[in-house]
Amino acid sequence: MSSYKPPCKPLSRRTFLRGASGVALALPMLDAMTPRRAFGQAAPAAPKRIMFVFQSNGDQISRRFTATGETTFQFDEFLAPLEPYRQDLLILHNLDKRFGKLPAGSVADNHEQGGSSLAPWPSGTGSYPIGGAMTTIGFVLGPSADRAIGERSLKDVPSLPYQHLVYRVGGNHNDIWNLHSHAGPVGTQSPIPPETDPYAAYARIFTFNDPNDAAAQAAIKKKLAKQQSALDLVLAEAATLETKVGAADKMKLDMHMSSLRDIERTLQSPMTSTAAGMACVPTDLGTKIDVFNDDNHIVIGNLFFKISALAFACDLTRTIQFNWSGNTSNRIYKNLGMTQGHHDMSHDSSDPAFANIRAIHKHLWTQNTTLYDILKNTPDGAGTLWDNTLVVHWNELAQGDTHAINNCMVIFAGVAQNTFRRGRLLDFQNKASYSDMLLSCFQYMGFSDVTSFGDSRLAWLGTPLPGLT
Amino acid sequence: MPTFRNHLGLAVVAAGLVLPGAACTGRVTGRAGATSTGGPGAGNSTGAGNGTGAGGATGQGGSTQMVAGPAVLNGMTPEQVLATCQAPNPGRSPLRRLSNAEYRNTITDLFASVPTIVSMVPAVTAEFPPEPVSLGFRNSGDYLNVPTLAAQKYMDAADAISTAAAAAPSFVTCANGTKDATCAAAFVASFGKQVYRRPLTAADTSQYTALYQKAISSGYDFQTGIEWIVYAMLQSQQFLYRFELNSKPTGAYATPSPYEMASRLSYLYWQSMPDQTLFAAADSGQLATQAQIEAQARRLLADPKASRLLEYFNEWLSLDALGEMTRDPTVFPNLDPNLPSLLQQETYAFVSDLMSSPTGDFTTLLTAPYTFANAALAKHYGFPGVTGTAFQKVATPGRSGVLTQGMMLAHDKATRTSIVRRGLEVRTEVLCQIVPAPPPNVNITLDDASQANLSQKQRLEQHRTNASCASCHNLMDPIGVVFEGFDAVGRPRTLDDSGQPVVTASTVGFSQDANGDVSDPAALGQLLAKSDEVRGCYATNTFRFFYGREVEAPDACSMARLLVDFKSTGYNLKELLVGLTRTDAFLYREVSP
Repeated sequence: MSSYKPPCKPLSRRTFLRGASGVALALPMLDAMTPRRAFGQAAPAAPKRIMFVFQSNGDQISRRFTATGETTFQFDEFLAPLEPYRQDLLILHNLDKRFGKLPAGSVADNHEQGGSSLAPWPSGTGSYPIGGAMTTIGFVLGPSADRAIGERSLKDVPSLPYQHLVYRVGGNHNDIWNLHSHAGPVGTQSPIPPETDPYAAYARIFTFNDPNDAAAQAAIKKKLAKQQSALDLVLAEAATLETKVGAADKMKLDMHMSSLRDIERTLQSPMTSTAAGMACVPTDLGTKIDVFNDDNHIVIGNLFFKISALAFACDLTRTIQFNWSGNTSNRIYKNLGMTQGHHDMSHDSSDPAFANIRAIHKHLWTQNTTLYDILKNTPDGAGTLWDNTLVVHWNELAQGDTHAINNCMVIFAGVAQNTFRRGRLLDFQNKASYSDMLLSCFQYMGFSDVTSFGDSRLAWLGTPLPGLT
Repeated sequence: MPTFRNHLGLAVVAAGLVLPGAACTGRVTGRAGATSTGGPGAGNSTGAGNGTGAGGATGQGGSTQMVAGPAVLNGMTPEQVLATCQAPNPGRSPLRRLSNAEYRNTITDLFASVPTIVSMVPAVTAEFPPEPVSLGFRNSGDYLNVPTLAAQKYMDAADAISTAAAAAPSFVTCANGTKDATCAAAFVASFGKQVYRRPLTAADTSQYTALYQKAISSGYDFQTGIEWIVYAMLQSQQFLYRFELNSKPTGAYATPSPYEMASRLSYLYWQSMPDQTLFAAADSGQLATQAQIEAQARRLLADPKASRLLEYFNEWLSLDALGEMTRDPTVFPNLDPNLPSLLQQETYAFVSDLMSSPTGDFTTLLTAPYTFANAALAKHYGFPGVTGTAFQKVATPGRSGVLTQGMMLAHDKATRTSIVRRGLEVRTEVLCQIVPAPPPNVNITLDDASQANLSQKQRLEQHRTNASCASCHNLMDPIGVVFEGFDAVGRPRTLDDSGQPVVTASTVGFSQDANGDVSDPAALGQLLAKSDEVRGCYATNTFRFFYGREVEAPDACSMARLLVDFKSTGYNLKELLVGLTRTDAFLYREVSP
C-alpha cells in the first residue's frame, strides 16, 4: 500500500508551475529563459545537479592537448571548441578504468565493460555469446552512479519526482552495447532503458496547465483521483504478492513497486521553491522529426539538452545521464562526409582514420557547448543552471584502435557551485581510477557519507580524486 | 536514399575483426563451459553507501550453472540421458513479465469485442521501452522488469484503454439493465478472470468493488467506476506478470494449476492470454494429462493466432534489426526504400509456409532452393515473372533456405559485404558457439590501400597467416566466404566488391559434426542441416525463446526430451513446438525457493 498520504489531496504539481499559460510558447527556449531576477528577491539556495554526457569509441590520446600544464594546458584540434569555456572546466587526464583487475569471466570486452564505466562492477554472465572469453557475458552486477546518486538525492529530498533521467540519441535497440544506466542492487543485472524520443520524454514529465481554466482543473482532479486510487490498489496488492514469491522474483517486484512510488511522487510532491523559478515554463520542441534517422541526431541531441535543462529548472530531478550514442557506436557521420561507421574506423590506426575520429569528436564537443550555453542561459537560484550543475563527460574507451582503458579523459564542466577549482588540467598518470572519479561526483553532490562506490578492485585510491577542490 | 538505420547489435560488434594475441587461443567447441552466474534481478537499493561494494559482487536470483544447450547432457546422448530421468526436474521458473509483443497480443485478445481498442493497441504501446536483449531474445524472464519508464508507459496505455473501454457501448452489459454496484461486481468477476487469467479470489474482488465504490462516492458515475476498474487491473502485477502461485507442490517440484497451464499453453503458441476454450478446459480440469495438454497444443498451433510465434524468428534471426541497416547510395543506388520490410516479409512468408506444412522440417529451413517474394522484392533480387504485392513461392536454385535470404546477408557493411560478420552470424546463431571479443590494437577495416588489388577473401587469408588471428577468424571467415556470391543487399553476383571473381569454395571446421569442404551455400546448408550440433543449437534457441530463459544444468532431462522428440519426428519444425509441452520445464515448475 501507499506509504505516504498527504494531509489533503493536492492537485498535480504540474498544475501550479508558475508561468504556465497552458499554451506552449512558440519561442525558442533560450528566448523564453532569458535570465530575470524577479522582484529583486534573494533566490533560495539552488540544489546541485549533475549530468553525465557520453560519447563513444575513444578518441586519440596523443592529440587531445598540445600542452598539459595545470593551468597552461592547450587544447589540440578536436577539443578546441572548449576553449571559450576553459575557466569553468576541470580536465581529469589519464585516469585508469582498471577492468583488468577483475577476474576473467566477470569482465567483458573493453567497449562493453567501458559502456558501464559509471557502474564499476563486475559483469555477470548469460546474455551474449561474444565479449566474454570463453563464456557468455552479461550486464554489470550493480548500479550506475547516475542511479545511485539519484537514489541518494531522493533520501534527502523525499519529494523529488525523478531519481534520474536517462536519454540516448539513436536506435531503440537495448542491448549490452546500448545500456549505460543500471539500477542494481549490487549483485544483480538490472539495466535501465533510456528514452530515445525527446518528444515523448518531454510529454512524460512536463504537463503545463492553466490554473484558471476550471474545466481543465476538474479534468485534472478526476485523472489524479483515478491515478492515485489505482496506485493504491496496485501497491497494496503488490505488497501481498511479494510475500508469496522467491527471492529473485521478489527483487523484480521490489523494483516495480519502487517505480510505482516514483510515479506517485510525481502526483503528490508539493512544488519546491526552485520549481517556481522563472525558467520552469513550457518549451516548444518544434515540428516532430524522425528520432531514429541518423541525419537528425544533432537536433535530437539538442532537444534532449533543452529537456534536461528544463527538468533541472523545474527540479524534477537532480541527475541526468545523456548519451550521444551507445558504446561501440557505428553511426555513419554522413554530415561530416563519412561513409564508414564510427566504430569500424576507430579500429584503424592510420592517419586518415584518426583524422576522421578527431573530426567526429570535434563535432560532438562543439555540440556539447550547446548544452553549456543552454545551462548558462537558464535562470536558477541566484544565477543560472551553469552555476549549479556539474557536467561529467565520459567515454567507454580512451582510444579505439587499442581499446585503451587507461589514459582516459574525463572533463568536469560547469561552475558546480564552485565545488572544484576550475580552469585546470590534472594529470593523474593512470594512478587514479574512474571509480575514484565517481566518488568525487558523490562528494560534489554533498553525499560525503558515500565513502565507496563500486567493486573495490576497480578503485585505485578508494577516495575521491585529490586536488580537485 | 533509403534511410536504413545502422544496426549496433550483436553482429556488428564482433564483425570485421581481426583477432591476434591470446584472446582467442582457447579451445572452441560448441559448448560454453559451465560458468557460475551472477543472476539477473531487480531491486531498489544500490551500492552507494558506506562500505558497500567491497570485493566481488556475487550473484543472486540464479545461482545455477549456466551452460549452453545440449552441453547440459554432459556428453551423453539424449536417449541415454532420458533413460536416467525419473522425478521431474523443471529447472528454474523465473517470474515472467509480459514482453511488449505479449502485452500487445494480450490487450488485443482481451478487448477483441471492442474494435476501437484493438485498433489503438499499436499507438498506445509504441513508447514502451524495448526490452533488454539477452542471448538474442527480448523475452527473457530474468531481464524483463518494470523500471519507472515502463511503469509510466503502462499507466499511460491503461489510461487510454480504460477510457475507451468504459465508453464503448457494448463493453459492459448489465444483467438487469441497471448500471449499479451489482452490475459492477459482476463485471469485476467476469472481466477480472480474463485479466488475471484465473478466477478472482474474494480478496481480489473486494479491492475492485471498493475501487468502484470510491469512484461513486467521489461523485463519479458508473462509467467512471468501470474505467477505474479496468485502469487498475491493467496495471496490476497479476496482469503484467505471469504468476504461478497456485501450483501444487510435490516434493522438489510443483504442478501448475489448470489456469496456470492454460496460460503456459497460450503464451507458448499465441504469445497471449488463453481463449475461452482453454479457460473452459481449465474450469473443468481438462488440462491435467499430457494427452490433454498436447491436444490443446495442436489446436493452438492450428489457429491463426499461432502466427504470433513468428516473433521467435524475428528475434532469432534479428529481423527486428533490419530497419537499422545502412547502405551507401553511391554503391547501392536505387534500393527499394522498403527493402528492410520486404526482407523481413520474405523470411516471415518462408517460415510461415514451413510451419503450416506437416512436412516442414529443419533441413528445409536451412536448404530450401526456394524463397518467397512479391513483385517489389523480386525486382530487387532479379527474379523474373513475379507480380503483385502478395508473397509467393519462387524457385531459387543455388540459394539455401534462411541462410541465403536477404535478411541474413543484410548484416553487411554500408559499402560492401562482410565475410566476418556473415560467418559470425552463422557461428553464433546457427551453431550456438561463442566467439570471443576482438583484442585491441588491430585494424579491422580491411580497407588498406596497399591491398586494393586483393579480394576481401584474400585479405582475410593474409590476416589468418598470423596464427593468433587465425585462431578466431577460422571460426568465422571460412563460413562467411561461402556467401560471397551475394552482395551486401542479398543479390547474386560473380565479381566481389573489389572486382575479383567470387570464390565460394571453403572448408568449415571447429564444429562437432559440421566440418568439411563445401563448394557453395547449398552445400553449406546441407552440411549444417545434417549436423546434430546445429540441430541442437536450434532446439536450444527454441528452448530459450519459448521458455524465456537459458538452458541450465538442471534442464538435462528437458533438453534430452526435446532432442529425442525432434529427432523422432524427422526434425519436423512444428513437432518440435508440440514437443515443448512434453518437457519437465513445461509440465512442472520449481517450488519457489
